[in-house]
Amino acid sequence: MAEARPLPEADLLLLNALADGELDAPTAAALERRMADEPILRKNYDAIVATREALGRLERPEIDADFLGRIESAVGVSGRGTASVRRTSSRWRADWRALAASVLVAIFAAGSGGYWLGTNIVSQDVADLVASSHRRSLLAASPVDIASSSRHTVKPWLDSRIGVSPPAPDLAAKGFVLVGGRVDVIRGHAVPTLVYRHNEHLITMVAEPAGAEMSKPADREADGYNMVNWRGNGFDYWAISDLERPELDDFVARYIAASETGKK
Amino acid sequence: MTGDQPEDRFREFVIPHLKDALAFARWLTGNRDDAEDVVQEACLKAYAAIGRGAILRPRPWLLAIVRNAAFTWMAKNRPKWLLTPGDEMDRLAETGEAASSDMPAQTPEAELIRKADAAAVRDAVTALPVQLREVLILREFNDLSYREIADVLAIPIGTVMSRLSRARLLLAASIAEDHHG
Repeated sequence: MAEARPLPEADLLLLNALADGELDAPTAAALERRMADEPILRKNYDAIVATREALGRLERPEIDADFLGRIESAVGVSGRGTASVRRTSSRWRADWRALAASVLVAIFAAGSGGYWLGTNIVSQDVADLVASSHRRSLLAASPVDIASSSRHTVKPWLDSRIGVSPPAPDLAAKGFVLVGGRVDVIRGHAVPTLVYRHNEHLITMVAEPAGAEMSKPADREADGYNMVNWRGNGFDYWAISDLERPELDDFVARYIAASETGKK
Repeated sequence: MTGDQPEDRFREFVIPHLKDALAFARWLTGNRDDAEDVVQEACLKAYAAIGRGAILRPRPWLLAIVRNAAFTWMAKNRPKWLLTPGDEMDRLAETGEAASSDMPAQTPEAELIRKADAAAVRDAVTALPVQLREVLILREFNDLSYREIADVLAIPIGTVMSRLSRARLLLAASIAEDHHG
């Protein structure tokens, strides 16, 4: 009960890194010397280690023959024997179709900056990368790698390329036609990208897999294009177009709304 | 060695990591049944994606797919899943990543944490906001390095570190508190 002030975060991160074996030898040795002199460091380190031990005592799920059989059967690779599949494949097919209609849970935490490493700088980079990808696509023979107005085509195509895909709602009735999808490379990561068309204007929408947090759409600008950035559903979304701001905002609002109500 | 058939590649790149996939999904979704559905969906996606290119690090690759599948599946079937306790979500939003004002001011004694029973620890993990929980799971249950966690979640390493630290602080406080009361 002696100390009242919390440890500086930098020290806390170092202690965690030590417990995780992520420090190089000289840094680890220096930290251990400090711990010998500063009881509060030692106390925090011990708590981290004890927490890790407590988690280590929890059960790890095992793969049993039933589950392996279910996976092999669902995927269609021949199993070793005929392990029973508990759930019917028709149920699975329904799930697969419903994939296209994933839901954006309707909460938005107000976004705030303050990442430890300075998100703003990183975000600026991404905005520029998205803008140049958009510009490149306008010059290319086709802005999409898979041309289809059907989300049932575009989503599985993206899944088959990179294993992830954002919701691709049909917004044609609202004036935004799904043109197709492509894979962009942003900061060395392959990311799914959707392209919509409004009159003669294309909207590039990059969906970078991201953390679980959510943020409201924020208007931005990059390379002379209007851009909207928001988070939700495990993606960091970047919509960019030469559309006027109100039209682009309208698109984003309709995309989000349609993703939310996609569950029918 | 690696066959050219998708089936062989699935056996080489996915099957060996099913246990990791299930552990990640189990702690992400909170229960085994949902986790099995999520892993099945992830395996279908992985199988579809496996035909081309070298998969240099299959485990992080598969875990990233599991995570995407979990978000999609849970949003559809468990709409309340992302609704971590409201004020917790608000606090996270208001204070940003680095803030420590909302964190427990005192670290509990290690002894208190050691005495906690498994159920209390399990509940404490489940109660963590998902954005802290996923980092913790990948570190503690999947034994991924900071670099690998950053890749799976597509966030900077610094963010991995601060989230992991916050997750452990919250966990320690909640375990110790439970033991007290």
